[in-house]
Amino acid sequence: MPPRVQQLIDALTATPPLEGYLVVGALMFAIGGWGVLIRRNAVVVFMCVELMINAVNLTLVAFADYLPNAGGLGVSYAVLVIAIAAAEIAVGLAIVLAVFRTRRTVNVDEITSMRG
Amino acid sequence: MIVAFFFLTGMTLVSALGVVVSRNVVHSALFMSGSFLGIAGFYVMLNAPALAAFQVLIYVGAVTVLMLFGIMFTQRPQARRYRTIINRQFWAGLCVAAGVGGFLAYVLSAEDWGGLQAGNGPRQVAALGRDLLGVSSGSEIFVLLFEVASVLLLVAIVGAIVISRRKVGEGIDSRVEE
Repeated sequence: MPPRVQQLIDALTATPPLEGYLVVGALMFAIGGWGVLIRRNAVVVFMCVELMINAVNLTLVAFADYLPNAGGLGVSYAVLVIAIAAAEIAVGLAIVLAVFRTRRTVNVDEITSMRG
Repeated sequence: MIVAFFFLTGMTLVSALGVVVSRNVVHSALFMSGSFLGIAGFYVMLNAPALAAFQVLIYVGAVTVLMLFGIMFTQRPQARRYRTIINRQFWAGLCVAAGVGGFLAYVLSAEDWGGLQAGNGPRQVAALGRDLLGVSSGSEIFVLLFEVASVLLLVAIVGAIVISRRKVGEGIDSRVEE
């Protein structure tokens, strides 16, 4: 096998470095934050919060797999984060439904009754 | 491995952008499930297959369905124009997000992690279970965290019922003569 083909195969089968996962997590967190800032629909704001939580989870699991002293505990923390995110979604959607029932809107810019 | 990494990266980030910029709310929810599937693929690559299964079951299954229910209950007049979908902070929000993302990515990649090798995660499901129940050494705090999480879930269930409950005589009941 010629050495250049071997090099190509080696490059294709190499494991990605830790920085790759961390950068993907950071970019996904930023995209979720952008959505939270610009969208008007409360349900979509919830979806973007979920994106941010998943980005942090990815970072935790990447550290758990790469850092030898972490002992793999980041995966356990990720399980706890998933449980708490599920609770947040249940309560948050209940609040959105309650707001929609009284105001007939889920536009977060129109819900201003607590503005000082 | 690197091919799978780039494929999953593209899937995750493009779907995440789709959640933010898509005009239709249902499309946003479906893009969100695509992004979660990409994250599940990352978990498989990172030696956490049990967590990948949780991710598919909870996020791709349950949370997406919950979001679709929320959309069905609340989006009676569906907004179609970007003016009504996105508020006036579009460019300011983009600047903030690009700043945060760029800064985090720069810091995380500029840090010298020092020749780390993958494969330290709990590949066995039994190891993950021992970690979660605080049996293995170094994870004793998880006994407490596990119990706190169970109490929190119970409180969340009760809270969701109390908040979204409709009292007798409200809504559709109020039009009926008793």
